[in-house]
Amino acid sequence: MGDDKELAALVEGVRRGDRRAFMAVVGLYQQKVFVLAYSVLRDREDALDIVQETFLRLYRKIDSYRPGNNFQAWLLRIAKNLCIDHYRKNYARRREWEVPGGLDENQVASPADTADSSASDWREILSRGVGALAPQQKMVFIMRHYNELPYKDISAALKISIGTVKSLHFKAVRNLRKKLGPYAGGAP
Amino acid sequence: MNDCRRTRKNLAAYLSGELDGPHAARVAGHLDGCESCRRELAGWKDVFEKADAVRAGIGETMKSVDWEGLSARIAGRAPDQAEKPVRESRPAGILGRLFRPNLGLVYAGIGLGILIGSAATYLVLQKPSLARLEGRSYSASAEYLDRVELAMARRDALDYLDKSRYIILDFIQSSPGEPGSAQAVLNSGMARDLLARKKYLNPQLDKRQMAKAKAICDQIEMLFFELVQISGDLPEAELRRIQRFIEDRQLLLKINLLKEELEQSEV
Repeated sequence: MGDDKELAALVEGVRRGDRRAFMAVVGLYQQKVFVLAYSVLRDREDALDIVQETFLRLYRKIDSYRPGNNFQAWLLRIAKNLCIDHYRKNYARRREWEVPGGLDENQVASPADTADSSASDWREILSRGVGALAPQQKMVFIMRHYNELPYKDISAALKISIGTVKSLHFKAVRNLRKKLGPYAGGAP
Repeated sequence: MNDCRRTRKNLAAYLSGELDGPHAARVAGHLDGCESCRRELAGWKDVFEKADAVRAGIGETMKSVDWEGLSARIAGRAPDQAEKPVRESRPAGILGRLFRPNLGLVYAGIGLGILIGSAATYLVLQKPSLARLEGRSYSASAEYLDRVELAMARRDALDYLDKSRYIILDFIQSSPGEPGSAQAVLNSGMARDLLARKKYLNPQLDKRQMAKAKAICDQIEMLFFELVQISGDLPEAELRRIQRFIEDRQLLLKINLLKEELEQSEV
């Protein structure tokens, strides 16, 4: 959405309870929310639930949005928080046993660990690697690479400085390189 | 060497196009003359390309979603879920903001608080009442006190584990060449504070027979004891030794598991 005024009008419409304005906002941002949720949860149906809950929460909380602030960042922050809640409730216990090292979000597998992994597909290894990153690193990586947000927007969505985004992005990619091990190109 | 380190720290931002002109030019200039950093860059590019491929996969998954239907469903559910009153306009001005209808409950709460506070003060300050109270002793059932103590022990243990986890993460995430966050932990005296807190925690855990929590907290205490012995700069070998200590004992894993159990009141 390039036109800020148009977006502001839609948001004002949502404030007034205008269903069409709300539907337009949903149409504009639902895919971005889905990408975020799907990247975190890696489950299509769960991600769709998060999309729905994000917009219902947006509708309830629209009065707390300050006009002029980054709307997309505000919306993605809601989605991020819902993803974290959902993950804690439904995933954490299960994944601990499914993914070696999944519990310890900051553990970085050595190349030898990765080589031992039964997963042969680097896509799966990358997804697991992203899932096992520290929470902030994970969110920065997902928002940068899957949502394709610039640092400025990530900074607004996560309420951290651009310098911190840069540092977390660096750490995330460095850890993922180690995680990918033999699947990674270039110097290890 | 410093140039290489600085360049590598900027590679993610460089590849993302997030460096401003002079910084990007400096990185590019260094890459031109440094074979090792060029190899490093190739590795980082590879991660970026793999991430692009994963994003394309997400795009494929998205094709199977009926987006129009979804937005219509969400829009249909919103009014029922939210029970949001339709407002025509926002109240303006200081008085308008001060007396907004949705603040009614807040004002009612404040009023009620003042009333209850006044009544309680009146009762407490009344001498005859005091005399009556002196004759009585407050009592609560042993079972109730037991539960309170257990809850406090759990809360304190969780707090201790949380703070310990941050310190351990700082050590695990530090690399020998850049012990920045680990060094900051050492300088902050956080480990010393947590050692002091552990002394307070010990009798609580013993009394509540939280043996598993006690055992793990003891291991963390051993680590902090090691940390407070280090003064000045953190040598590389020392950092590696501490990282091995953490990994060998799987401290992070144990902390996470214990935290979960404590949160679910299983310990």
